[in-house]
Amino acid sequence: MDRSSLTALLGETWFGGRLGAGTRARLAALGQVVDIPEGAVVVQEGMPCLALGVVISGRIALRLALPGGQDRTILTVDAGDVYGWSAVLPPAISTSTGIAVTPSRAILFDGNDLRSALAIDCELAAAVYQRLLETVVRRLTATRMQLLDLYRPASDPW
Amino acid sequence: MVMPAPVYLPRAELGRLFGALAADGRTVVGPTVADGAVIYDRLESPGDLPHGWTAETAPGRYRLDATSGARAFDYGIAVTAWKRSTHPSLVPLTRARRDGELVTVAPVHEPPPRLAFVGVRACELAALRIQERAMRAGPAGDPDHVARRDAALVVAVECARAMSTCFCTSMAAGPEVTDGADLILSELDEGFVVRVGSAPGGAVVEPLALRPATQAETERAAAQVAGVRAAIGDPVPAEGLPERLRAALDHPRWAEVAERCLACANCTLVCPTCFCTSVAVASDLDGVEATTERQWDSCFSLGFGRVAGDANFRPKVADRYRQWLTHKFSTWWDQFGSSGCVGCGRCIAWCPVGIDVREELTAIAPVTAPAGPIPWPLSPETGRAPAALATLDPARHVVATVRSTEPETADTVTLELVTSDEGLLAARPGQFVMVELPAFAAPPISVSRIRADGLDLTIRAAGAATAALAGLGAGSQVALRGPLGRAWPVDTARGRDVVIVAGGIGLAPLRPLIESVLADRSRFGAVRLYLGARTPRDRLFVAEMNALAGRADLEVAEIVDRAGPEWLGRVGIVTQLFDQATWDGSRVTAFVCGPERMMQAAAATLARLGVDPAATWLTLERNMACGVGTCGHCQLGPFFVCRDGPVFSVLELGSAFGREGL
Repeated sequence: MDRSSLTALLGETWFGGRLGAGTRARLAALGQVVDIPEGAVVVQEGMPCLALGVVISGRIALRLALPGGQDRTILTVDAGDVYGWSAVLPPAISTSTGIAVTPSRAILFDGNDLRSALAIDCELAAAVYQRLLETVVRRLTATRMQLLDLYRPASDPW
Repeated sequence: MVMPAPVYLPRAELGRLFGALAADGRTVVGPTVADGAVIYDRLESPGDLPHGWTAETAPGRYRLDATSGARAFDYGIAVTAWKRSTHPSLVPLTRARRDGELVTVAPVHEPPPRLAFVGVRACELAALRIQERAMRAGPAGDPDHVARRDAALVVAVECARAMSTCFCTSMAAGPEVTDGADLILSELDEGFVVRVGSAPGGAVVEPLALRPATQAETERAAAQVAGVRAAIGDPVPAEGLPERLRAALDHPRWAEVAERCLACANCTLVCPTCFCTSVAVASDLDGVEATTERQWDSCFSLGFGRVAGDANFRPKVADRYRQWLTHKFSTWWDQFGSSGCVGCGRCIAWCPVGIDVREELTAIAPVTAPAGPIPWPLSPETGRAPAALATLDPARHVVATVRSTEPETADTVTLELVTSDEGLLAARPGQFVMVELPAFAAPPISVSRIRADGLDLTIRAAGAATAALAGLGAGSQVALRGPLGRAWPVDTARGRDVVIVAGGIGLAPLRPLIESVLADRSRFGAVRLYLGARTPRDRLFVAEMNALAGRADLEVAEIVDRAGPEWLGRVGIVTQLFDQATWDGSRVTAFVCGPERMMQAAAATLARLGVDPAATWLTLERNMACGVGTCGHCQLGPFFVCRDGPVFSVLELGSAFGREGL
């Protein structure tokens, strides 16, 4: 995919849609589109997180392992959203395991390249970090709501 | 009618008035001394009146004192209020029976006693009027109250002595008796000036052939009550008080007074206007026969605001004190077009720790208070009409039969009920019914489907009553009262895009709305349905929702809070289904139902997307015990959730939505 097409594709996502045109183009220059087969592991909990991904289509389930081998899906990432944000934050270790639960497509940004670019391009860094912070806040908010376990069955009201 | 001129009743002839009341077939109830206080009780003769007694009152204090005179009505105010006769502390409602699958529920209507209330003060007349607004002229007349009030003849006696706890002047409730009484007495040392206030009152005194009162006698009577007014003064300036109070919902004084308040409920029990009740269920051991009784309750009770799941909307004493005070002096105006206080001062004298409501009002809502934001600005149309009038008689039930049951989740079942009752079949999306099984308290259950020959109810087994209902089989009967409450305003969404957000069992009251929209699909723009559930196993109406997801004219997305690896759908909270949406919020009418915290998040997300708070509708859960706005349990600011809701717009709720302790 050529650069302009990739830039346009990035602009259609929630993550890239509100970046300025120049910033989006410089970010797109670091990315490549990949197709992810169903069942593929894109990030592994506790392992180095090598790339930030922006999902174009499909669905990535973020899972945590529980003792006894039963994984629990704690979040899914759909089109427009990102996975692998740990790639931009040293020590760049994944906090969950990401598995494509459907055939998916994503724009991947190599972690080393992205960190290097963010270190020297303040405008790009401000935009990308802003977007990542929004992502993390959104997930933190969701996690808090999930912790409340709002739908839990009630006890003895009547 | 033109009232006759005042007449004069010599003290020695007071017995003749009692005789006339008896001849009218009435039992006389009035003040008498018992247990060191003046109470209202049955009087056989004037000799039972508290001649020569007065009372000294102060915060937390009431003492009888002997006077040097022989007046019968010099005691100030009796301990008990007339609501003991018009709104008794215990009223039987129904007798129910369950024979196998068959249920019968019969209302209990006992004929009211024919009473004469003797010694009613001006403030108490005001209290009777106030309770009548709630019980007669209110949204759902209480037949028992109406019958008792209609059967009573009121003989008022104007005050000749002010108590230190009186503040009727500030509440525009006295001390002069202006109207509402059948007879009005002004006690002088040697007798009574008698004014006739109604035709029945005139019929009582006319046979007594009393002489006209002299000008001197009427002037002395007027001077007495003028003296009372002067002595009381104006301790609680009422101008702007409703607004000042509601602007002070976060005042630190609420917590301070709660440190002293015992939440004993004395103030509400002695209050002549407090009308809150609960329904008690009693049954035999095998649950075949059961009775329900309405009994006084209090917003100070810990469980008064408790709902399913043991959630309690007013867990702290400060919450409950704020509820009581703001209701009395502020939101009562919204509900009934008047203050809920008449300034009788009973709550001051009978508070065991001496909390003085006048002092609290002055501290919390002083006249000099800076104007702050006022939640729920007082409507010019106070005492507004109910949003929905339904079955008014709280004892009237309709028996419906379970045709089939459909397990939805491990703890949730849909009952398909058959009925031919036209009222029930006229249910609209968003309304609810009270569902009674003999021996169980009746829970409010939202209608989850409206059919030509019945209703569906989707019930989660959250407690004893709902577990019993969820366990019913085909052929079983239940007793229903309803439909109740305000429906989803489906028509306001015509021509607009529709967003429906459901969380957990919140999908049940939304299902009739969805079906209503789809039945008239061409009249709506884009329709988007966002469904949240705890886990994949907790999703409701799975086959139906899957079928809807296959339609081209509808967007359906669902998400669960948590899932195992076998679930390939979305995981997260329901707002994640649309918080990155690009649709035009200004064209959207939204309908939301789920846990309140979830609805708050949904409403905030919708607002960020440009959806008008006036077009964002949600349905609230509160302790809805009567369903018609007369028991008081479900109050939320100026609203009775059962009567004014449960469907509200976010704009209507204002800061009441999500505010802790309301």
